[in-house]
Amino acid sequence: MISLERVSLVYEDHGREVHACREVTLDVQPGEFLGILGPSGSGKSSLLYLMSGLKVPTSGSVHWRGDDLAGMGDEVRAQIRLKEFGFVFQYPYLIGYLTALENVLVALPGEDRVSEAERLLTALGLSEHMRRYPHQLSGGQKQRVCVARALLGSPAAVFADEPTAALDHTSGRGVMGLLNEHRGAGALVVVTHDPVMLEGADRVIEMEDGAIVS
Amino acid sequence: MIVLAVMLIAGIVSLINSIPLSIKVIYAYSKQYVAVTPRGNPFLTPLFMKVVEEESPVELERVMVIRGSGVEVKSIVGNWPFVVLGLEHSDMDYYLDRMSSEVVEGRLPEAGKPEAVISETMSRNLGLGIGGILQKPDEAESFSPMPVKVVGIADGENWFAFTSIEYQLENHFPNIDAFMAFAKSPADQLKLDNWTEEQLAGQNAQVFTYRQLEEQADTMFTILYQILNVVIGTLVVVITLMMGMLINIFLSQRVQEFGLLQALGYTKRGLLRRVLVETTIFVVGGWFLGLAVAFGLLNLVKVVLMDPKAFALDTTDWSAYSYSLPVPVAIFVVSLVTVWVKFKKFDPVGIVERRLV
Repeated sequence: MISLERVSLVYEDHGREVHACREVTLDVQPGEFLGILGPSGSGKSSLLYLMSGLKVPTSGSVHWRGDDLAGMGDEVRAQIRLKEFGFVFQYPYLIGYLTALENVLVALPGEDRVSEAERLLTALGLSEHMRRYPHQLSGGQKQRVCVARALLGSPAAVFADEPTAALDHTSGRGVMGLLNEHRGAGALVVVTHDPVMLEGADRVIEMEDGAIVS
Repeated sequence: MIVLAVMLIAGIVSLINSIPLSIKVIYAYSKQYVAVTPRGNPFLTPLFMKVVEEESPVELERVMVIRGSGVEVKSIVGNWPFVVLGLEHSDMDYYLDRMSSEVVEGRLPEAGKPEAVISETMSRNLGLGIGGILQKPDEAESFSPMPVKVVGIADGENWFAFTSIEYQLENHFPNIDAFMAFAKSPADQLKLDNWTEEQLAGQNAQVFTYRQLEEQADTMFTILYQILNVVIGTLVVVITLMMGMLINIFLSQRVQEFGLLQALGYTKRGLLRRVLVETTIFVVGGWFLGLAVAFGLLNLVKVVLMDPKAFALDTTDWSAYSYSLPVPVAIFVVSLVTVWVKFKKFDPVGIVERRLV
């Protein structure tokens, strides 16, 4: 479904060349739970952003269902992210002036997904908090809203970048469990430095210095 | 801030516009006739009258000999001189008719008596009712050797005051007759005015027409309007800079939101469109609200302060409201530039990774 071939990402940081990814070749299968493990700065987040079309590789190619993501225009890539992918980021970003329910609906604008969003929030234990604003929610609750947002519309792939980093261990495991449980038939790609969070993963790859080491 | 700026500019310009407007309103009676006084030789009046009567290019309805004395009326910028006409009794009804007016309270002045008819607007302006004193022996600017009592009040929008010509002949100097010529059709009056000015140019005559008055009122305020333009221009620049800073702060606070949405799959173009729509609503809404507040306040000022003194104020003066247009335009342009600069180097990954927030 997602295929990376000899993908590299190089960028300049304060005049220094940084190799975030070095010739990575990888396939993600439909419905697969792929864990990407590695220490900070190993390039795992960069790899996730390359896979999801948020970044374009310096060399190599990323294919989504056979089409080269880099060859598409920005707007087409954005459309794929909106319709086919779900995202959970390290920090539980929510829009402050929207309720939890409205924040979930942001994932698919212009579509009537209220009952699906309500169902997801209820399944994630937030039935009492749907009309609350982000400042009225705890960190764990916010991240669960982010999980619901990522799962809305049953995306083909959900990308999670250190989704438990801002949470305590118990909440983190809870969020990971919910993400895995409610992703349906979609693939799940999770980047983390904590192997415990990848319990239940179909495959785990380890990265170091921009390359897959195991 | 937009609302306050628009309200302030529209309000100030309306009030300043009310000064030349007042001149045109107070002396609007001169639209109805052309007046001529001799200069240097008081015996020239019959000669000039004859010229006008015999050579006028338009049909005349009446030419009347008059006298004049002075009184002061109040305006928002101090007192202004105003003529109290001395009319033949037989001309009074005609004069009232040309002013689209009639005596609604009291009566006409008797010949030779210190009595006057004033318009309702003058009555309000000077606070004079029937029995009030229009001119006094002890007032330099509204002088008459005897107290001139108001015996009649006439309705309508025109400002005027008249006594009998006999009273003025006996009591007011210099001893010079003037005359007023009325075109039969009011539509021809301007033609008559222009012709009289041209015909008597260079002769010992002074011609008074409404066109001259309008011209003088417009030139008199040229410098004032130039100063006003500089002040408003400065105000617009200051407000625009402040708004630009506020918009910049506002957008910076929303960078996280835009980064998140772009990461989720919203296009940069779509987000830009959204911000522009919001900015347009904000700026245009602020402008309209400012205009509405200015309109409301001006009406309040008109009812409470201006109307009781018959001061002119046009609360639907679109030229005054249009002065505030540079405010939303400048703010909109600054907003566009700010939004464009913000979005130009926008990196959603940097936002969601918290490197840029």
